Amino acid sequence: MSGGIALMLMMKAGVLRPSRLVSLRRLGLDRIELGAKGELRIGAMATLRALEKSPHVQQGWPVIKRTLRTLSNVRVRNVATVGGALAHGDPHMDLPPLLSALGATVTIASGGGERTSRVEDLYAGYLETTLKQGELVTQVQVPALGARKAAYLKCTTRSADDWPALGVAVVLDGEKPTIFISAATDRPMRIASAEAAGRLQIEGDLHGSAAYKKHLVSVYVKRAIDEARDARR
Amino acid sequence: MRRAIQFTLNGERVEAQVASHETLVEVLREDFGLFGARESCGQGLCGCCTVLVDGTAVSGCLYLATLAEGAKVETVEQGAELDAVQEAFVERAAFQCGFCTPGFVLMTRQLLAENPDPSDDDIRHYLSGNLCRCATYPEIIEAVQLAAKKRRPQ
Amino acid sequence: MKRATHAAETNQVGRSVPRLEAWQKVTGRAEYVHNLRLPGMLYGKIFRSTVAHGRIRRIDTSAARALAGVHSVVTAEEVKSVVPEPFYGPAFHDQPVLAIDKVRHVGEPVAVVLASDPHVAEEAVHLITAEYEELPAVYDEVEAMTSKAIVHEALKPAGTFPDLKHLKGVKNTNIALDFRLRRGDAAKAMAGAERIFEHRFRTQQVMHTPLEPMVSVAECTEDHLTIHTASQSPSFVRIEIARLLGWPENRVRVRVPFLGGGFGAKLYIKLEALVAVLSLLTRRPVKISLSMDEQFFTITKHASTFKIRSGLTRDGRVVARECEVWWNGGAYADIGPRVTQKSGFTAPGPYDIENVAIDSYALYTNLPPAGALRGFGIPQLVWAYESHTDLIARELGLDPVEFRKRNILREGRPQATGTPMRDAAIEKVLERTAALLDWGKPFERGSGTLRKGRGIALGFKACIANTTSLAAVQINADGSCTVYISTVDMGQGSDTAMAQIAAEVLALPAESVTVVHSDTDVTPFDMATLGSRSLFHTGNAVKLAAEDARAQLSKLRTELGLPADCAVADVFRKKYGMRAGSVTGVGNFIPPYTPPDANGQSDNATPFWMIGGTGVEVEVDTETGRVRVTRLVNVADVGTPINPRIVETQLSGAAIMQLGFTLFEKMLFDGEGQLRNASLAEYKIPGMLDLPPEIVNEAVVSEQSTGPFGAKGVGETATFGVSPAIANAVHDAVGVRLTELPLSAESVFQALQRR
Repeated sequence: MSGGIALMLMMKAGVLRPSRLVSLRRLGLDRIELGAKGELRIGAMATLRALEKSPHVQQGWPVIKRTLRTLSNVRVRNVATVGGALAHGDPHMDLPPLLSALGATVTIASGGGERTSRVEDLYAGYLETTLKQGELVTQVQVPALGARKAAYLKCTTRSADDWPALGVAVVLDGEKPTIFISAATDRPMRIASAEAAGRLQIEGDLHGSAAYKKHLVSVYVKRAIDEARDARR
Repeated sequence: MRRAIQFTLNGERVEAQVASHETLVEVLREDFGLFGARESCGQGLCGCCTVLVDGTAVSGCLYLATLAEGAKVETVEQGAELDAVQEAFVERAAFQCGFCTPGFVLMTRQLLAENPDPSDDDIRHYLSGNLCRCATYPEIIEAVQLAAKKRRPQ
Repeated sequence: MKRATHAAETNQVGRSVPRLEAWQKVTGRAEYVHNLRLPGMLYGKIFRSTVAHGRIRRIDTSAARALAGVHSVVTAEEVKSVVPEPFYGPAFHDQPVLAIDKVRHVGEPVAVVLASDPHVAEEAVHLITAEYEELPAVYDEVEAMTSKAIVHEALKPAGTFPDLKHLKGVKNTNIALDFRLRRGDAAKAMAGAERIFEHRFRTQQVMHTPLEPMVSVAECTEDHLTIHTASQSPSFVRIEIARLLGWPENRVRVRVPFLGGGFGAKLYIKLEALVAVLSLLTRRPVKISLSMDEQFFTITKHASTFKIRSGLTRDGRVVARECEVWWNGGAYADIGPRVTQKSGFTAPGPYDIENVAIDSYALYTNLPPAGALRGFGIPQLVWAYESHTDLIARELGLDPVEFRKRNILREGRPQATGTPMRDAAIEKVLERTAALLDWGKPFERGSGTLRKGRGIALGFKACIANTTSLAAVQINADGSCTVYISTVDMGQGSDTAMAQIAAEVLALPAESVTVVHSDTDVTPFDMATLGSRSLFHTGNAVKLAAEDARAQLSKLRTELGLPADCAVADVFRKKYGMRAGSVTGVGNFIPPYTPPDANGQSDNATPFWMIGGTGVEVEVDTETGRVRVTRLVNVADVGTPINPRIVETQLSGAAIMQLGFTLFEKMLFDGEGQLRNASLAEYKIPGMLDLPPEIVNEAVVSEQSTGPFGAKGVGETATFGVSPAIANAVHDAVGVRLTELPLSAESVFQALQRR
């Protein structure tokens, strides 16, 4: 149990009925630091709020700070952890597509040692990750932004504060966009362009029909690219 | 299976026997008769269950009580006098049925501690996780601005 | 908070007195039944139907009963041992305390598990199994008119609606009530009209979601029952529980502290009959506290379909209007029939129309029951007639405000019931709404992907009749004042307003008055806290009671040979030789009323009218269909406000709530009557980020001549016009007309595609 938000929600809904919970809070995995190559090293137990308020993040990856501002609410961000946000596999989360687009990686520890994975490779399907039994995400590494510019757009179709119907992350390296979308798909998906939205597997749900969500993808990808272009960083 | 835990509650050292599944809101209400934090949506979205743990606002209905061991827990009942935030809520009529009010008061104190001069936009975003079905939102924003003014050294 | 006891120097009414209970609410100490615990109390958790319509074949509670910590499991069989005919409801005695033979909607209570630990009770609920023989179900209100799927075998009207008697035992219908109003000859006038317009509008099922979910606690002795309940209608609860048990009223006590929101959800019988029976069965206090999710299965707002047809002269005068309204009442009638009838008669709108025909039907369907929700059917009607009005204005090339002016009801003119309009500032509300929206000024709609528009709507409501309120006002030996009322403060500020009224009569500071909360052993009868009736009815009763107390003191002074300005404390000291005694004034307010005839005609259908105008400016994102309200103007005729600040917060709050119903709230069912979004994670209500950047609230200068100090109700008024004003503004912005709520981004987008 890291922050425990998703766990508590699932237990209260009766979807998860563990007989034992082990808290990870005493593993000392909550530091947020800069590495030798100027990359951001985020301990898996760092809270989303700590990430949001980190001076390193404000300086080097302001798009992360902007994204966190509308991620759930302050109380949730006070408790939920970065590791938890990545390891849950819920496609409605904002961080997975953004960190994927930024080229982030995770360190995964287990009894057998350590391995590294790209964030984008963590997701196999709805609530399904490529983490194996006995593995734990211990750290996230986000490469320096450099000259790249980034934007993340969260599209909600009901009240403003809602799970996203669609999340679009764009990182521009010169004119070359790296685009990841999530929420409308069952896991974060990289697409080449706004036009590629048509080929995506999208289901209708309470946020909107499949056709409408496909349309939203094309609109929001264009907007995210424009916003990234206009962003100072 | 209950376990004895000790923590500080509103400045006082206390002890409680908690079961592993009990939430902080349940323990505060059942064991300590503190009803300012209430479970409403049960999903961390409405803020009625707001409690401070080690100076940080959390959703008490999603916080296992056993994890409060050794922590400093604070509720809206702390303090004998109304503070600037509570006074501002009264002056600006920033509540109606009052069920969500403790949550708003605690979150406002946190907001002003972090940001003593918030813009309306800052206020709306910070309080976006507190729901009010009476929709007293405009008056709450006024109250937060008034509280900020009251708290600033003259 | 300091309580002043010196004589008042300023007026008590018309002053924005801070709410009396402010300290309790900002320190988290206000009393709610949500917090109540009693020694030896059992918690009840409800096992609910998983099918929309079915005969109960079998309920297996054995595994639940065997779970350690479970006290007992109760089904209708045990209920009948305490109450042989366990059916309740304000209009029809159609709702069983626990399902008997059949279930009629998903979520209907079938059994209850009792345990000292609510977690154990919850766990045990999951161990209960039930088998149903599924029956064909009906979900749509229009379809229900003629559907072969019949929800109730026979209709069971209660005694409360005299005009429903003829329906007793009627079979093979889902039509619980068919309200009919005829004025003039609509068919003839329509045939002769120069222009005819017809439209059809629909609204969706939504839920109040008060943040304190419904909760009741019952505790009993051998022959006495106390129910602590979050209820807006304590007097009704007492009467109904006494009826169910066959006990005298004075053996049933109903206590209500503050409510954490009501909005109409906490009315009539919700959990009270169930906890009463459970307490009698177990001889222990029993509490049932619903989760937020469970509220969706308990009471909701009527979805509706409204077909409206108008005949006009060429110059834009409406000469005939035909209204057909289908109300989706869900599986149990609750107060639906009253919505159908009492709101139904305002279906033509606040317009002066000689020839009117209204047919308003209350339908049973296999959905969770619908009842009272802030507005009580009026928002659904206004949605239709103000959208219709705007469409007609456009077709005729007339300015929407001018067109309305040409047709509105003016003072003294007969409304559709024939009742002359009195103290209804319709024109003033319309004018102020237009003025605050700068209607006369040019408006820039834009030419890019974001388009702007503006819209106006005007609605009205007749206060429910006939009803009564009583009040008692006690002057204590030291001159302080206590007010006893059964009106419930659910956030609308009734405690404070009633204190202000009593204080005004007695020349005391309002802050010094104590208001005793509803307790049927102590406070006198009140019809209920609903429909914005309390300020007028209970307010008048409090005024009468305070005047009575004042008169008694006056008489006492005379008898004792004391001067008129002798302080109250001295009067009592003179009478008793010490600090002792009190004087209690009583007031009973019964406004005049004439019941409608077979054509819905009456010369006095309502004691007062509520008038609400809404003006909005919107911005439509044509690429996504997203509608953003940028300016919201709420204008109301509330008579002369007792407490201007509370009036403002009530107008603002009601409008923002209606914003949610307009733009994104909707209970979503699948084809089998299963609700897919019964939680605040999936049923979104307005939050801070949904607020229009500019909100203006105004109570027009007016007076309700029969109201206490010129006042009348305000709680619902700002809900009336919000939905059509926004649809009218969207039409203005992008030229598309939506006829169904909610105006979701997707529905606006689809309408734009079809354009």
